[in-house]
Formats: sequence, C-alpha cells, structure tokens
Amino acid sequence: MRISRRSLLKGAAAAGAAGAVTALAGKAEAREPHPPLPDAVGMLYDSTRCVGCRACVTKCKEANKLPYDAQAAQGTEKAVYDVPTDLNGTTKNVIKVFKDGEKFAFMKQQCMHCVDPSCVSVCMMGALHKEGKGKFNYSNENQGTGIVLYDKDTCVGCRYCQIACAFNVPKFEWFTPVPQIVKCELCKHRADKNKGGAYALANPACCEVCPREAVVYGKREELLKEAKRRLAAEPKKYNGKVFGETEGGGTQVLYLAGAGVTFKDLGLPELPEESGAAFSEHVSHAPYLAGLTPIALYAVSAFVISRNQKKEEAAEHHEEGK
Amino acid sequence: MSAHEHPQAIGGKMLDPLMKTLLSLFGLSALVMVYRFFTGIGPVSNMTDGYAWGIWEPINVVVFTGIGAGAYSVGLLCYLLNKGKYHGLVRPAVLVGAIAYSLGGSSILIALGRYWNAFWLADVPIWNLSSALLEVAVCVMAYVTVLWVEVLPALLEGAAASQSPYWSSFGKKWGPRLQKAMPFIIALAIVLPTMHQSSLGGLMLIAGTKVDPLWHTWALPLLFLLSCLSMGYGTVVVLTTILKAAWKAKHDQVLFAQLSKVNAGLLFAYVAIRLVDIAAQGKLRYLARLDHHLFFFLLEMALFLAPAFMFLSAKVQRNPGRLFGAALMAVAAGALYRVDTYLTCYDAGAGWEYFPSIGETVVTIGMASIGMAVFIFIARKFPVVVVDDAHGHSNVGAGQVRTAASR
Repeated sequence: MRISRRSLLKGAAAAGAAGAVTALAGKAEAREPHPPLPDAVGMLYDSTRCVGCRACVTKCKEANKLPYDAQAAQGTEKAVYDVPTDLNGTTKNVIKVFKDGEKFAFMKQQCMHCVDPSCVSVCMMGALHKEGKGKFNYSNENQGTGIVLYDKDTCVGCRYCQIACAFNVPKFEWFTPVPQIVKCELCKHRADKNKGGAYALANPACCEVCPREAVVYGKREELLKEAKRRLAAEPKKYNGKVFGETEGGGTQVLYLAGAGVTFKDLGLPELPEESGAAFSEHVSHAPYLAGLTPIALYAVSAFVISRNQKKEEAAEHHEEGK
Repeated sequence: MSAHEHPQAIGGKMLDPLMKTLLSLFGLSALVMVYRFFTGIGPVSNMTDGYAWGIWEPINVVVFTGIGAGAYSVGLLCYLLNKGKYHGLVRPAVLVGAIAYSLGGSSILIALGRYWNAFWLADVPIWNLSSALLEVAVCVMAYVTVLWVEVLPALLEGAAASQSPYWSSFGKKWGPRLQKAMPFIIALAIVLPTMHQSSLGGLMLIAGTKVDPLWHTWALPLLFLLSCLSMGYGTVVVLTTILKAAWKAKHDQVLFAQLSKVNAGLLFAYVAIRLVDIAAQGKLRYLARLDHHLFFFLLEMALFLAPAFMFLSAKVQRNPGRLFGAALMAVAAGALYRVDTYLTCYDAGAGWEYFPSIGETVVTIGMASIGMAVFIFIARKFPVVVVDDAHGHSNVGAGQVRTAASR
C-alpha cells in the first residue's frame, strides 16, 4: 500500500516534470540563421529621390484609418495639421530629415519587415508573426511573403517587442485601457487580387502615393536587384551600399542613401550580419542540450534529495531508539 | 540534535504601527493600480515607447525575484548538498520566496497592456519557445505554485496544532503525506529557478543595440544566475538578522559565517567572469568613457567585491552587525546589476528619456509593503521562524509534525 502510493507520487511528479521540461526544451537545438524567403515582398526607399512632401504619411493614416497625431496638434489653436515627430501609437510611417550644415537627407521610417525579426522571436504567443507562420492557423494569410503581421487577440501587451526591436518600430497605445501594438503591416489589407504578382499580396499606400517613386513596392529580390542597378548606374550619387541586404540578418525594406550620407546619419542602427534573434536564441538554447539538461538536473536533484531525506529519517529513528 | 529545532508561530499583536503603515502604503498603491485599469498605463507612469518597461519589470520582477531566490540558494545547500544545519533558514527563506515571486507575477499582470489575453498561456501549442519571456512567465508561474507548496508544511503544522479538532486532524493527516512528496517538489524548486533566473538575463540578449556593451554579453544568463544566488544568500542573512532583532529568532553566527563564505565565492566568480569577458571581447575601451556607465560599473564592482572580502574576514564573521552590512551589500550588488542591465545602462536611442513617475514608484513601494505585511502575518500565525528557546518565548503552534521542509 505504502509502496504503491509512493511510486504513484513519483510517477506523477516525474511525468509532470518531464512533460513540462520537454515542452519547454522542444526548440532548444542550435539556431540556424534564417535566409530571406524567395517570394518575400518589401519596399525600396531611395533617400536621394525623396523630396519630403509627406504625402506618404497622410496616405498611410488614411489607408490604416489612424487618427491625426493629437500630440503634435494639441496645445495651440494654430497647431500644425498632423505633424508626428516620430512613429507612435497613431503613426505607422513617418518622414524625418537629417541635417548637417549644407548637407541634408530625408528618411522614411516604418517597419523594416526583417528577414529574421527580433519581435517575432520574442513574442510570447506569436501575436507578431511572419505572414502564414503564426501560432494559429490564420486562413486568410498567404505563405512566404515574410510580412510581419500583428494579431491583437494573442497579444498580452508585454512590450518585449519594443525592447527587442533594434529599429524602435513597434509602438504601444499608452493612453487607453485596451491598448494595442501599432506598426506597419505593409498594407496587406489593400492587396488587390485582380492585379497579379506582388500586388495580390499587399499594396502599401505610401508607395502608391509617392510622386517621385522614392519608395517602391515589390518582391525583395527584385528590389535588391534594382537597388544594385542604381548603385552601378550612378555610383557618385550614392554612398555605395544597400541597407538591409545583410544588416541584422537582412530586412525586407531596403534603403539607399546619397553620397556622403551614412545610414547611421539617417537613424538606422549599425548591426552585425547575425540577426539579434539568431544570437539570442543560440546563446539561450545552447545550455539546454535539446532539453537534456533540465531533465537530468531534475532527475539528479530528486534522487539526491530523497536519498538525503531517507538517510536523515534513518538517523532520526536511530536516535530516538526505535 | 540541535539541527532539529522547531519553528514557532510568533504570535503577538497583528495590527501594530508597522503593519498599519505597510497596509496604508499598499492601499495607496492599490488606488494607482485600480486607476490604471480604467485609463491605461500612460497616465500613471512615465513609460514611453523607448522605455517600455519603466521600473516595474526591472524592480518588481527582476529584483524582487532575485530577493526571493533565497529559497533557491538555501534549498541548494540544504537539500542537494545535504547540509542539514541550514534547515532552520529554509522556512523563512521559502516564505520570502513565495511572497516575492507572487508579487513579481502580479506586477507583471498590472504592467501587461492586454492582460486579459494572458489566459492563452494555458494553450501550450501556441507557445513561442524562442521567447525568453515566455520561458520566464511559464517557469515563474510554475515556481510560484511550487513555493507555496513548500510553505504548506508550515501551514499544516499550524493546523495540526490548532484547537479545532477538524483542522488538527486535517494537519496531522496531510502533513506526513506531503512530506513523502517533498523531494520531488523540492527538485522542481531547484530546476525551475535555475532556468528562469538565467532566462531573466537571457531576456536582454536580443537588445544588443540598446544594452550598453559593458553589460551586453553572451554571459548574461550565467551572470544573472550567479547574482540571484548571491542575492539569495545575502537575503537570508539580512532577513534572519532582522528577525532576531524583532522576534529574537535563532541566529547562528557560525552558520552565517559559513554561508557567507559560499557567498564570497559566488561574488568573486561573478566579478571574475564579468572582467574576463569584458577583456576577452575587447571591450576594455568602453571603460574609458567618463559617464554614468563607468560610474555604475565601478559601483557594481565595489558592491560585489566589498562584501566578498568582508565575508572572508574573521572580524566580520564574528560580528553580527558587520555581517549584516556585508550581506545587505551583496543584495544591493545583485539588485544594481539587474537594474543597470534593464534600465540605467539600457539606451533606447536618441531622444528617449525616462525617470519613474510617482504612480510607478507608489506601486513598487506598495508591492514591497504588502510583501512584508504578508510575511509578518504568516510568521505570527504559523510556525515559520525558529525562535531561540533560551529567551522563553511562547510555544504557541510549535510543530509536532516533522516534514521535510521543517528540518
């Protein structure tokens, strides 16, 4: 009787622990870098073509039904019409300017749709996910576009994405009891099934409205080719590099900047080729040895502790003369 | 054997001035928390998109659980290495752990923007196992449960000694049963903190462009694990010294000295890993910056090294006051390291500023206060603290049931 109860307890405890540990450690193998998806879509922004008209900022708000920036508008009756100073809870796209004496350059900021996004790596239940790769079976999502989408129904609002994103893109609605994360989803909702190719997958309003084609939409591979073509055709016009080809594991939004302007000037971070997600997952998972470490630690601990307890019980009985 | 003294319920007046103060502080913070649920997080905090966690995550979660790691560090010594002489320290440490972790967990709930979606955590298939925060969340929830199960023997002993025949027989029946399962529960109480305390460091691995290079390293998980142990041992000494002053708790200076030698080793190990890592990664040049990074780095080193040397000094080992001071420094060292990594030496980028708001501070203080209040309440009602019998304290609730956690 006593033995069976004890073995039952042991069995239950061991099964429970092993289950939990295996679940946690399931993904604990070495982390390979994620290559760009062949059909990924994105944008190419050419800082030298942008004239700073901000038509894209207004059109983005319209397309995404976002209110005009109340923070910038408040305070004075002569407030300027919708001038967000940065991405924020009501702004998914913004034009900034870099000025240094005579030199100046425009910069468009929105989600970079990283090839291996930090926000997706850290999001607890896949609220932020690559299209078609969510934790749920989202039936209306395409495969292989690489667009980083947001699902408010699995978001707990922990804001780890804000900590993790090297571009400071995800924004939080601070002044409502039912907040969401706000960020560019490449106007997936404006996709036009009648048009073929990339436009059947998404159709960013900013690209549609840009009068100078400073920002264009398309497949990442083609955009990368186009960027390199421009660099080769007018090498003196540009700084010679495409941001997003390899930075931080690569991004699906690519940038060109004028000669004498660095990407850092434009506010883009200096990133190693290894994505933050790959580095972090690799370091975190390595000690788990595919789940072996916690299981072994549990087994050894349970064995040693119960042996120690028995020893002590025996000593006690002896002492008490039983 | 002297290792088998029994913890006792302290008894005494419950609503003394200290208790009233603690409860009022918590009441104040409760107002802020309720307000937050109607207005959102913005109005009560100075958090921004740049400093999205403010002080709640770094202090209420990362530092509180470091303090709560006393249960883990003493458990390691006591159960795994079978140093039975530390048994008297286990119950208070476990109770502090259970309270601190519960507070950390509830603080997260208040800080979550969309807390109602947290129920999805029960849906295991949608877990994103790449997320360090998911690992922390799941592990901490499991560990809070384990810690309160570890507190149960004290509560059952209290029940067994109660006047009510029902509770008495309940305690006598379930106390010994729980004891048989304890080794398997205690083993969890060793695995789970090992995992999530290192993950608390692992959380910041991905913020490579924001955490200062002197703090951002692959060794973050290891350093967080070491710092939770040193904070844990420090907390136990601090706690027991306070309990002695307040309630004449048993206070074994020799035991503390031995415990602190272990802690000295941990503190030295932390400093060695930190320095070797900085040198090996060619980051020494970052020490040439004369700014707040250097200040906090030197302060951390001082706070880790000073108690380490003090713990090894025979003079300090003999002197309860000095040992208390050194232990307090060991706790402060770990706390500072954690806050630096998460906040002070975390730079969201140009244009972002942060200083905690009154509302955020009130919540953090209120949480700490209710933690102390719960500890005092349970220690007065149930056998948690081992009291020095020489002082002839009341024996109310002295346990008769021997359980694993009581020894």
